[in-house]
Amino acid sequence: MSRGGSFFMLVVSLAAALVLQLVELPDAVAALRPLWLAMTLGYWALSSTSQPILPLAWLTGLCCDVLYDAPLGQHALGLVTVVYAVRKLRGTLIVFPLWQATLLLAPVWALYVFLMFWIDGLSDHPADLAARWLPLLTTTLLWPLAATLLSGLSARRSHRRAVLP
Amino acid sequence: MLWWIWAPQAPGVSRGSDRFLNTIAEASRKPLFPRGPALGLKFLLFAALSIALMVADTHGERLQPLRQWASWALQPVLWAADLPREVAELAQHFRSRESLIAENEKLKRQQLELQGRLLRMESLEAENERIRALLASATTLDRRVLIAEILAIDQDPYRHQIVLNKGSRDGVYKGQALVDAGGILGQVIQVNPSTSVALLITDPDHGIPVEVNRTGLQTVALGRGDGQALSLPYLPGNADVKVGDLLVSSGLGGRFPAGYPVATVHELRHPAGESFMEAIAYPTARLDQGRQALLVWNERPPPAAELAPQPPPVAQAKAKAKAKPRSPARAKETSREPRR
Repeated sequence: MSRGGSFFMLVVSLAAALVLQLVELPDAVAALRPLWLAMTLGYWALSSTSQPILPLAWLTGLCCDVLYDAPLGQHALGLVTVVYAVRKLRGTLIVFPLWQATLLLAPVWALYVFLMFWIDGLSDHPADLAARWLPLLTTTLLWPLAATLLSGLSARRSHRRAVLP
Repeated sequence: MLWWIWAPQAPGVSRGSDRFLNTIAEASRKPLFPRGPALGLKFLLFAALSIALMVADTHGERLQPLRQWASWALQPVLWAADLPREVAELAQHFRSRESLIAENEKLKRQQLELQGRLLRMESLEAENERIRALLASATTLDRRVLIAEILAIDQDPYRHQIVLNKGSRDGVYKGQALVDAGGILGQVIQVNPSTSVALLITDPDHGIPVEVNRTGLQTVALGRGDGQALSLPYLPGNADVKVGDLLVSSGLGGRFPAGYPVATVHELRHPAGESFMEAIAYPTARLDQGRQALLVWNERPPPAAELAPQPPPVAQAKAKAKAKPRSPARAKETSREPRR
């Protein structure tokens, strides 16, 4: 597997996740928006140890803060925490089948949601408590799909590179 | 130093020679002696950096240039996120002829009606000018305005903000009022070179000085944070307010132009055992519909205190509005009102 190709995939998928995080959704489902960035970074932290995920997570988080007009560092802290937690759980996660890994990752997303909620509370942006936990549900449900999709994409790319001279 | 941070935890196992010996995929190999700093240490470093940034960002405006520069650099992301809407609008180009004709008819009728009203307005304006001239005060009714497009960007669902496609290049300034065809929408809280962010009047951080159009009673309308309603918590218990009353901006505090409709009173609440009452009002502006908004230039330049970058604009507007009770009686009511 070539590091250059994989790094390209990593950056492209992060940019796509950032756009998905911003795209307008109808009001009825806006609160259900999955944590695209946390999911993408979680996947990369899980699948490759040879990438500088932690600095990238921090930078992406800062971009997210600027776009959301949140206190600088809020999402950065959350995403860095997600990457760290996934890396720590990696030994267990890669031997588990996908559905068990999905369940094991739910507390990680919960930690992220809680951090965002807590910092929002500290910076005087109290929010509806019930609606805050909805992304946790959609993220967990979408994780198997997203992980399969991302691994399929990166595998195809590395395969093509291996075949071509 | 930079490499120390950037370096992945398990850097390059020499690639050429052991490719044939080691059959484990390179991505899942774990070297015996990992180089680079420990993961935990790096995590602590980044977490500490984030917390330091947050503290610096919430206490003061020193990071404002960084934020502006970054939001300028992130313009492509905003455009990409706005693309689906553009595509949807493209699809609307191919609408049926009948609907266009019907819409045309409707607009013509509306234009005629408005024209009629405008004729009366012109004579009233002239009369107003004369009367004002008698009073020797100088106020113009014409204002400089600019149409801004609302970008289809979902912000944090728990903050009521919108992104506009006009920025400091078009002369937009912080604290500028934003209106639509129905009334006041909100105010600009952040200005970037070609975009700006506006806070809607329904945000819980937002307060706007209003007066009841029927009686002239001055009060403050605060956002309730549910995206639909405003609350008027500082009303005396015997205040003359009825359901259906129109609230217009009073222009106190100098941030919002006076006389624009803000909301209509929907419900009155008398908390048991309290000497004040609370009114719930629905904004007259269509906050969640429409793609265009008008940026209004206030005729008075903001006072020097507002130009100083120290206090955040919204809190300041709120404090100012609260600190300006009109009559002594109302001042007493406000001070008796419990802190919430």
